Amino acid sequence: MRGSLECLVKKKRSAQVLQGTLDLIVLRTLATMGPQHAYQIAGRLQQLSDQSLELNQGTLYPALVRLEQYGWIKGTWGQTENKREAKFYELTRAGRRALEKETNQWRRMSSLVERLLIEGTRG
Amino acid sequence: MNRHLARCLARLRNLYAAKEADDDFQREIQAHLNFLEREYLRQGLNSAEAHRRARIACGGIEHTRQTHRDERTFLWLSQASQDLRHALRSMKRAPGFTFAAVLTLTLGIGANTAVFSVVNAVLLRPLGYPDPGRIVEVILASKGGEARGQSIPDFRFLLDRASSVQDITAYDFGQSEMGLTSGVPEQVRGIHVTSNYFRLFGAPFLLGRAFDSADDRFNGPKVIILSYALWKDRFGGNKSIVGEAISLDKQPYTVIGITAENFHSEPEAQLWIPFQFNPNSEDKLHSFAVAARIKPDMTLAQANAQLIAASESAKQLSEFPDPDFQFQLRGLRDAIVGEVRSPLLTLEGAVGFVLLIACANLTNLLLVRMTARRREFAIRAAIGAGRGRILRQLMVESLLLSLFGCTAGVILGILGVNVLLKIIPGNMPIIQKVNATVGLDWRVLVFAAGLSIMTSLVFAIVPALAVLRPKLTDALNENGSRQGLGIRTKWLHSLTVISEVGLSLILLIGAALLIRTFSLLNGVDPGFDSHHVLMMTMPMGTGRPESAVTLSVMVRNARQQLAGIPGVEASAASFSPPFASRMGLPFASISGASETSGDGDWLAASAGYFQVLKIPIERGRDFDSRDESGAPLVVMINDTMAKRYWPRHDAIGQQIVIGKGLGPKFEDKPRTIIGIFGDTRDDGLNQAPAPTMVIPDSQEPDGIIEIMSKFGPIWWMVRTRIEPHQLIPAVTEELRKVSGGRPVGNVRTMDEILARSIAEQRFNMLLLSIFALVALLLAAVGVYGVIAYSVAQRTHEIGVRMALGADRSSVRNMILREGLTKGTVGVICGTCAAFFFARLLAGLLFGVSSHDALVFTAVPLILEGVTAAAALIPARRAANFDPVRALRSE
Repeated sequence: MRGSLECLVKKKRSAQVLQGTLDLIVLRTLATMGPQHAYQIAGRLQQLSDQSLELNQGTLYPALVRLEQYGWIKGTWGQTENKREAKFYELTRAGRRALEKETNQWRRMSSLVERLLIEGTRG
Repeated sequence: MNRHLARCLARLRNLYAAKEADDDFQREIQAHLNFLEREYLRQGLNSAEAHRRARIACGGIEHTRQTHRDERTFLWLSQASQDLRHALRSMKRAPGFTFAAVLTLTLGIGANTAVFSVVNAVLLRPLGYPDPGRIVEVILASKGGEARGQSIPDFRFLLDRASSVQDITAYDFGQSEMGLTSGVPEQVRGIHVTSNYFRLFGAPFLLGRAFDSADDRFNGPKVIILSYALWKDRFGGNKSIVGEAISLDKQPYTVIGITAENFHSEPEAQLWIPFQFNPNSEDKLHSFAVAARIKPDMTLAQANAQLIAASESAKQLSEFPDPDFQFQLRGLRDAIVGEVRSPLLTLEGAVGFVLLIACANLTNLLLVRMTARRREFAIRAAIGAGRGRILRQLMVESLLLSLFGCTAGVILGILGVNVLLKIIPGNMPIIQKVNATVGLDWRVLVFAAGLSIMTSLVFAIVPALAVLRPKLTDALNENGSRQGLGIRTKWLHSLTVISEVGLSLILLIGAALLIRTFSLLNGVDPGFDSHHVLMMTMPMGTGRPESAVTLSVMVRNARQQLAGIPGVEASAASFSPPFASRMGLPFASISGASETSGDGDWLAASAGYFQVLKIPIERGRDFDSRDESGAPLVVMINDTMAKRYWPRHDAIGQQIVIGKGLGPKFEDKPRTIIGIFGDTRDDGLNQAPAPTMVIPDSQEPDGIIEIMSKFGPIWWMVRTRIEPHQLIPAVTEELRKVSGGRPVGNVRTMDEILARSIAEQRFNMLLLSIFALVALLLAAVGVYGVIAYSVAQRTHEIGVRMALGADRSSVRNMILREGLTKGTVGVICGTCAAFFFARLLAGLLFGVSSHDALVFTAVPLILEGVTAAAALIPARRAANFDPVRALRSE
């Protein structure tokens, strides 16, 4: 019982770390690759992270809903080259602006963290 | 747009489009799975394995669906609407419970809202004048009591010395009946005021102006101000009337102003005319009220202190007009509301008890219902509903019930106010003029909302108690519904029943005391015969008063004419018949046999007064034709006066001077007592007869006629041989003719006047009885419900007892005992509490002690009986159980 509870807590923590970054990654992916459906985005994620991000592909969906509700991305049903049905997500204008802002923020944040960590190893 | 706002809107939108969003997601995830599956197929897996691996890669689809749902909408909100639907369903499933709960709440809140609306209108709502809290009335207080009436010297003193107040105003403390004699004669209610009146009350004017100091002059100009309503009704809203003369009591008065529509004077009036009394008069007759405004930099206490200090220093110099009295300032509302406050608060308290009982009943109902539904909750918990979720759903159900009940209650309350206004006694001040607006204002709404919240708390707490306790397995267990209540809820059940019984006992005792009061009052012999007596008023004039001679001649003529009408047995006239306002005057005896002096009620009456009212002449003689204006002065006194002031001598033949010490205008010449008549209760059936002097109208001092005709109309009294209403047209027509066209109004039978005099007691009794009956009903239902429920819970146990040999009567007695124990505890607690509360009623009682032994024995016994009856029904049902079926029952 206790074991499973700890497990739950851990999972939750890793998911939390992910959430902020996941949004950014999705936005970045869409900006680079153009309109994509969820399966493509998930594939791209796995490819980029060299499988180190052990991510259920389902985890992507809440992030997509969230981003769509923010008005940053927009999903439309369409067809793949193989005439298969899929929902394609593309970046909106607001999404593009948000990506820029979030990227800058992320950079500032990570460089700050980086500096701190370097200082930590020196001391 | 802000992203959070955008998201919030999108989530709200999804509340309504839940189905489409679900479908969309289903489609998307299916597409995703298809892609994955194809990928695995391409890697060479067989289709079953590919299908399986695709699902693994995707993670728990159900879980994803849940989180997706969480993300895209407000889960709690969508659950709330789910709860709401569920609540409505479960209410529909238990219509009896729903009906009982809503009805209980409706009655409780409705009664409270209605009574509070009246309390609000009379006691709470600010009077409609600017800064009304600073308006005070001047009272004359002494050890013996207090009086509102002031004299001209008092008024002069206040003007000179009361530096803590401004806008000092004299005005009539009751309306005067005046005859509007322009066109068709009509009685209207007017008051005499000094010019400051309109400034003090901040009266807005539609047209013209208020009185000014020139209008105050002794024998000053005959000017008049009309109320908006009178101006509209009587003069058709004709603006050119300002500056014109109208006829009042056959005197011309110039209209100088019309008050605005929203001005309601105190006392209520249709027109105002200036007092114009002689400012130098030394008359000590206390004939008007005085009000003023506390100066801005003063508090009521400071103003009072100043006035008392000024009076004290004047008393030292013997410059104080009423040495035995003391001036006192009192808030205007207190002065107006006076004696009505305590009965109103009593009713408010009583109706509050009804609400408490209603709450207790609700608690019971809910507890029973919650326990009956334990299995349902357990099942829901077993299939995954959290305790919080169940509790929340119960709260939604409860709040929905309370919403229905409260809404219905407030509506009932608003309707109830109208009923209350129909039966409210006429002496309830302020109400009359705000009749239209007595209902809703923010105070009533806040009050009703407060009550609703309070009762909703009951609704919220009870299910919490029920849900937070049981163990899942217990409830799911086969025995679950049979196991009955835990100690805690059982205790709560007993407590609610006991308090219901106790509270309703308090109300019942209160009601019983008032019923006894009313029936005793109704049985009081007024000392005169009120049947077949027709009464009506005729205003006698505000300007030039009639002299005693002309008045008595007119009365004599009228009586002769009236005697000619078939069906008229006798007639008389007086300014002060029973239940009309009457003067109290001092007197002193001057004959040597026994010197005495005192105060007594005083009236002048025409011949025929004692015949019309059938008041017995106990000794001596009645007035007759000998007692003319020039003849030796005579007076008759009542039994009480004779016994009090001449206990050892014969009062007849004694000489007294009436109005001794009141100044030359009112001091009478010596009169001889010629007769003693039986006591009558002229001030009200609950008032002991006061010493009373009656003089013949032909010998009335002119100074008093002047005051009397200013104050009030003359009353015509006619004893009829037939049903009195039949004679109204003939009598009024004859009187109008004889008086030269004066209006006749307020036509009533003496029986009606008598009934009206006890209207307040009737109102109190009626209302408290209704409340007590509702309480009794609720308590009976409460006892029945709890015992019936307990029987249902103990079916199995009773089956076992019967199987082991208990006979039917012992089962019945066991159940009955349970009910009686609770009932008795409630009755005992209630009796003790009632013993305390009844004292608060003391002021409303007549002829019965607030701890009346009969009431305090009979009512608890009755309640005990009702409790027993309520418990007997389920007890007999239990006794008739078939033991085999009882044992088998679940």
